[in-house]
Amino acid sequence: MTQSSRSRLTRRSVLKGGLGLALATTALTALGLPVPARAAGKKVIIGAFADGGLTPFKQKIIPLAKDAGFDIEFLEDEYGVTLEKWFADAKNSAGQYDLYLLDDPWVPQFGAANVLEDLGAAGIDGGDKDWIGSMIDMGYWPPQKGARVKGFETATPTLICVPFVGDLQTLTYRNDVYTSGAPKTWDEVIAKGKEGVAAGKIKYPVVFRGVSGNPIVTSWYPVFLSFGGSFFDDKWNPIFNSAEGKASAEFFVGAMKQNAPSGVVEFDSDQEGAAILGGEAGAIIQYSGNALKADDPAQTKVAGKLDFGVVPKQTSAIAQMGIFIAGIPKSAPNKANSVEFLKWYVSADIQAKLSEAGSIPVKRSAFGVAKPGNRLIPVALQQLDAGALPRPRTPDWAKVEELLGIELNKALQAGSGGGAALDNAAKQVKDYLSSVGYY
Amino acid sequence: MANSGTQSRKYRLQGAGLDLALPYLMLAPGLLIVLGVLVYPLWDGLRASTKVYRYGSVVADVGMQNYIKLWSDPQFLNSLWVTVEFVALSVTFEAILGFALALFCLREFRGIRLLRTILIIPMVITPVVVAIVFRLIYASDAGMLTAISEWMGGGQVQILGSPVKAFIGLVVLDVWEWTPLMFLILLAGLQSLPHEPFEAARVDGAGNWRVFADLTFPMMRPVLAIAIVLRTIDAFGTFDQVFVLTRGGPGEATRLVSIYGYDTAFKFQQTGYAAALFVTIGLVVLALAFSAVRLLRRVDAS
Amino acid sequence: MNSRLARIGVMSAVLAIVLLPIYWLVSTSLKSNREITQEGTLYPHLPTLDNYIRLFTEKQFGAYLTNSLVVTFFSVAIALVAGAMGAYAIARFRLPFAMERKVGLFLLTLRIVPPVVILIPVYLLMLKLGLLDSWLGLIATYTAFNITFCVWMMESFFREIPVDLEEAAMVDGDSRFGAFRRITLPLAAPGLAATAIFAVLVTFNEFLFALALTATPRAMTMPRGTATLIGRIDTDWASMSAAGVIGALPIVFFALLVQRHLVRGLTMGAVK
Repeated sequence: MTQSSRSRLTRRSVLKGGLGLALATTALTALGLPVPARAAGKKVIIGAFADGGLTPFKQKIIPLAKDAGFDIEFLEDEYGVTLEKWFADAKNSAGQYDLYLLDDPWVPQFGAANVLEDLGAAGIDGGDKDWIGSMIDMGYWPPQKGARVKGFETATPTLICVPFVGDLQTLTYRNDVYTSGAPKTWDEVIAKGKEGVAAGKIKYPVVFRGVSGNPIVTSWYPVFLSFGGSFFDDKWNPIFNSAEGKASAEFFVGAMKQNAPSGVVEFDSDQEGAAILGGEAGAIIQYSGNALKADDPAQTKVAGKLDFGVVPKQTSAIAQMGIFIAGIPKSAPNKANSVEFLKWYVSADIQAKLSEAGSIPVKRSAFGVAKPGNRLIPVALQQLDAGALPRPRTPDWAKVEELLGIELNKALQAGSGGGAALDNAAKQVKDYLSSVGYY
Repeated sequence: MANSGTQSRKYRLQGAGLDLALPYLMLAPGLLIVLGVLVYPLWDGLRASTKVYRYGSVVADVGMQNYIKLWSDPQFLNSLWVTVEFVALSVTFEAILGFALALFCLREFRGIRLLRTILIIPMVITPVVVAIVFRLIYASDAGMLTAISEWMGGGQVQILGSPVKAFIGLVVLDVWEWTPLMFLILLAGLQSLPHEPFEAARVDGAGNWRVFADLTFPMMRPVLAIAIVLRTIDAFGTFDQVFVLTRGGPGEATRLVSIYGYDTAFKFQQTGYAAALFVTIGLVVLALAFSAVRLLRRVDAS
Repeated sequence: MNSRLARIGVMSAVLAIVLLPIYWLVSTSLKSNREITQEGTLYPHLPTLDNYIRLFTEKQFGAYLTNSLVVTFFSVAIALVAGAMGAYAIARFRLPFAMERKVGLFLLTLRIVPPVVILIPVYLLMLKLGLLDSWLGLIATYTAFNITFCVWMMESFFREIPVDLEEAAMVDGDSRFGAFRRITLPLAAPGLAATAIFAVLVTFNEFLFALALTATPRAMTMPRGTATLIGRIDTDWASMSAAGVIGALPIVFFALLVQRHLVRGLTMGAVK
């Protein structure tokens, strides 16, 4: 090859390549962003994590919001990255979002950093008796009741978040296995489940999430609560390794694992959902994301065979409550729109629509208007009355959950040693919290 | 390397006038971008590593405390150990498999071009997608292994739930993705070896094994060493694949230092501590690289 | 005969190991979620393109692809120009205090440090500059990383080209820079191509910084967009696998197209 031909080759190919890319880019821009015809409404940029619990909101409420003059940009991301992205956004006033749909345990972290708008001052009434009390309580920082972390003992509780979509754990069970209604106790769950397995109706009595971190802690929590455990004392000393707590952990990694699919250690929502919706498992404690699919033949093989009930009890039937909760960053670019949207959204009217669409509302009046045939929402109300507790209100919950999740997951793999796992976790939690100045 | 002849030439080439400024002008654009976008943040990170953050703001300056704390943090030590195990196992397997494949492909035969083409695919696919591919293989419900096992009448296969299997699963992913690179480098190395010694050995009647042990392997040692060093440095920073495949779990079984650092910084908001962790990792990798280079030079010289 | 059998054996084993996972990805992407999680079929019994259609209608994969192309193109182009010049200066000039060698070593050092190390400060920098979630922020970041790499690779290419050719050109009246542009650069074209290809691969595939620096379809690149679907809560296997296919397709296609240069580029540095 001569020099000149080489030089022509590169120059020409570079030019060609560049031109081609530019053309392709233009074409794709035209194809890929078909959004210029957007109605000039009041813009609100909502950040959310991907979760089936938001499906009714996406499908039914966003169109209504558009009719009401809001231009909603709904940015969905993976659960595992949203907390850090949003916190960085708010803390650094990056102004990329108008509204976060947070997981409620994240509220204290945002609250402690003082990066969310005071919604009470913005005109949202936290004292409205129509709120579900335990849900609106989660929107305050520091919390109105219960232990407060150091540095916030005397601060006035401020409403920085409002409940967005209610959710709490309830029991989903197979009505052809548990023929006399929802099983009342854990013993009944296992015993009747085994009969169902023997009769060939199901493969496993129960299923749950065993992945370390948030998933396993979430699955173990209602068992822990129903055995009568409590997590921290009012000085933030971990007391989850009490006798009750240990009994619940032993039951969880022992009897429950033996009666669950062998892969349960690595199960997350999708696998546990597949096990119940695919007709393999007899009972599950879950949030509403999968429960919402229980009557849809396109999503489940056992439509009509799944019923809902209050979680089983050992000493009490308490579930974990975990809700989508909305906060507006102080750096929101369309703050006024965002506040207006929230007010519109939590109105009794729209909450009724949300309830009709199948989600658990956050206003009591909306519970009554669930579509006939929606069996989940009345059960959710029953569970709220029976007892539902949020996770401890500390900005360091993510780390606590991780430390505990790792230990529980190890015990689950071993199939024993739940009590010892809690002792280990309690020590690590205590060390960690003291290293960040809790005591 | 640089003998006096080329040196004097370089001086001669430098010329005068505007040409005197030329080297600086040519270096400037690249250096400015790098200084602004990489070096300034590096400096920023160094500063942050001596601070303690709480709720996203600096609350104290603790000097070297963060660095000292690292070495008594069981989770950091575990992640370091996991990383070393991961790198050692992956790179070893990649080197052995890559070398074997390269030897196998040294002789031209039909189909070799197809083989080479196919082998390019794993290493060019986006790492995030590679991890998705392996999640689809390992998942106990939707996975390929489970589907095959059930087809053969078995039950669910679980990989990502057991610490040992998940770790091996991660190594398998890395070996699948990067053996081809090892293979291509080593093949190029083999092809660049002189023919004469091999012909002479054949004439002397040496068997395959003797030729390999006495000629091929010693002659390939430098290339092999460089390939291993390159891959080791890269593997140390592995992040995407673990982030998508296991996010460090189950437990801490696949939590590499990069993942632990990321979580410490973003999930637990210990920004200063995470910065110290990252600086430490950077120093470890640099030390590794430079001692490897020094070792190579010494081998070269002897 | 025996060796032929062995050859076929090894060939098929390698092909199976490489291609089976890819088959599974593609096959999964053609199934519905129910078929994936509840039927465990070995091939799509009810093949559907819905998953792909969803990516471009409900999700914004068109935008991700555009972003990736734009960001990759500009960051590689700028890095090539700046990198080639820098590499040439390092390869050809002797500066006071051996500055050029120090700069070269410095850039190599930066290249060796795992990028994750400066993730947070880069985020803060882009925030200060108002470049979060923008093409420019990503382009600046990737350009810088690519420069460290381009300089390192191009330097060795320039060293291989004899100095005499440039001298001859200068005797004929070319300026120093003119000689570089007209003589050396074209001679280094294959090296330049190999460097560019490698840079394209790395840039297109980058995930970590895209994760930290982008938040919306305005700037999210392909790997970043794909990662919005990797959820562990409610995993949408169908969309995730389709996204995997779409995410990998452009870069695999590109790599196969420039295969020859790619292999040269990958192997050159190590073998020399």
